[in-house]
Amino acid sequence: MLFELKDLTRIYGDRTVLDIPGLILEKGIIYAMLGPNGSGKTSLLEILALLVPPTTGQIRYENKWVNFSGNHLTLLRREIVMVRQDPVLFTATVYKNLEFGLKIRGVSRKERDPVICECLDLVKMQDFADAGAHTLSGGETQRIAIAQALVCSPRVIFFDEPTSSVDAESQIDIENIIRGINEQKEISIIFTTHDLMQASRLSRRVISLQEGRIVPQRFQNLFNGRITTDGDGSRSCLVYDKIGFLVKTEKRGGVKLSIDPRKIVILPDDVPGAHKNIFDGRLIQMTYEHDEVRAIVDIGVPLNILMSKEKVTDGHLCVGDNVKISCPSEANEVL
Amino acid sequence: MGFFIDSFLSAIMLLWSFNPDVYFIIYVSLKVSLSSTLIASLLGVPAGFMISFNSFRGKRAVVTVMNSLMALPTVVVGLLVYSFISRKGLLGILDLLYTQTAMVIGQVILIFPIVVSLTIAATSRVDERYRKTAMTLGAGPLQTALVVFRETRFGIIAGVIAAFGRVISEIGISMMLGGNAKGYTRTMTTAMALEYDKGEFVLGVALGMVLLFISLAVNIFFNHIQGKGRV
Repeated sequence: MLFELKDLTRIYGDRTVLDIPGLILEKGIIYAMLGPNGSGKTSLLEILALLVPPTTGQIRYENKWVNFSGNHLTLLRREIVMVRQDPVLFTATVYKNLEFGLKIRGVSRKERDPVICECLDLVKMQDFADAGAHTLSGGETQRIAIAQALVCSPRVIFFDEPTSSVDAESQIDIENIIRGINEQKEISIIFTTHDLMQASRLSRRVISLQEGRIVPQRFQNLFNGRITTDGDGSRSCLVYDKIGFLVKTEKRGGVKLSIDPRKIVILPDDVPGAHKNIFDGRLIQMTYEHDEVRAIVDIGVPLNILMSKEKVTDGHLCVGDNVKISCPSEANEVL
Repeated sequence: MGFFIDSFLSAIMLLWSFNPDVYFIIYVSLKVSLSSTLIASLLGVPAGFMISFNSFRGKRAVVTVMNSLMALPTVVVGLLVYSFISRKGLLGILDLLYTQTAMVIGQVILIFPIVVSLTIAATSRVDERYRKTAMTLGAGPLQTALVVFRETRFGIIAGVIAAFGRVISEIGISMMLGGNAKGYTRTMTTAMALEYDKGEFVLGVALGMVLLFISLAVNIFFNHIQGKGRV
């Protein structure tokens, strides 16, 4: 076990940005932390990186409870490095920026050079050693920040939205770097993203954050809606004031609706009749991830659907098809 | 106008002649001012850091007081220190009055708030990310402070230079605590005041030129290192 969190909260003023009753993170794997802006991803990373103490609650790192007022915090931090979403480099050359982590760890001058060169190589920035850090572009700065973390050879690296400010080509590079350091150096990695695709492409496990709380990962189709009662007494949750999903709830007014992507079924287009929980839509995207296929069907709102590969083959599904989907009330959960 | 040009030319001649009395005055001025600037910086820069990076009750009050003390009149400091070190004062036994040490003490009190305030101003503006980046890369509290110092060094050096400018040109403390004793505590400013009283202007103009030259030299030096530091 790498981290264990217990009853952790972080409160700014009167706003609770994090509220996590319990969470366990395992060693050696890549986690993705998924959530919209303001869901508390960065706050959680900063606490896990031991940069900011939680307001209440405790953290266990490597089987030891962390004491945030203690002096040993610096030693613990040397095993955990966080790469910021908007990294800053020190006013010095790239080489000196990379040297910093080694210098404060007391690595001798002779031993520093090969490590720095190796890490620069890894992020494809070997020609920039003598460049002034402040002359670099955003993408280059991001790479150097990653190299800066790597030279420290930590046990854990946190990446806060590592690809949010880089172009598509650099994005692939950075994803490969992350995958590479996890596999070759066995560094545990947690990265945040709001890109569902990236999360499932890169990580073994996904942690979903929503308004500071950890929500089960199945909550991928998340909408703001309003509960209405139909003529026959059944209840619907109206999303964007136009699409009603059947729900079983006692709640009224504005709610959050989550639809389990594994419980939505794609039906053949020629299924006759209309029913409240059957929608017409168009299949706009399909991707393969971890033995499953993720399909996105536009029914007025985009819906994520997860199904087996066989279902796709059997149903002769093709991107661009008009399809009908069934969204039974068991799939729809009001939060 | 002719009178001014005469004084100006004579002043240049005086400086050119390397008159030892004149150069001793310059030496005392620089020695006292540099000492007080050094001491005030060694105390004030860390104090500014401590105030800037710690949150405690009354922090705003401390900052406000420091800012107000930047306008401390030299004669008030002179009086205050005098009351302590004069024969009848609490520290009278140390026999400090009319010594260079007394001048340094007074000047340190004068510019300590300047160094503290300008350090707070420089460090509180620095991007929080520098601190967090240093910390996450494994830096301890002191190493983190050094990183922030490096990133804010131009602001801090500017504060130290402002403090030096204040003491090299002040006269109240030098006069009241130094006493303008020839060959001992006579500085450029006290000498100029005395010459003015005597109605002699040549030495005054010469020393005035030296003062201006020093501030020019300090600023050229500062610009030079600032230019070098831009990477």
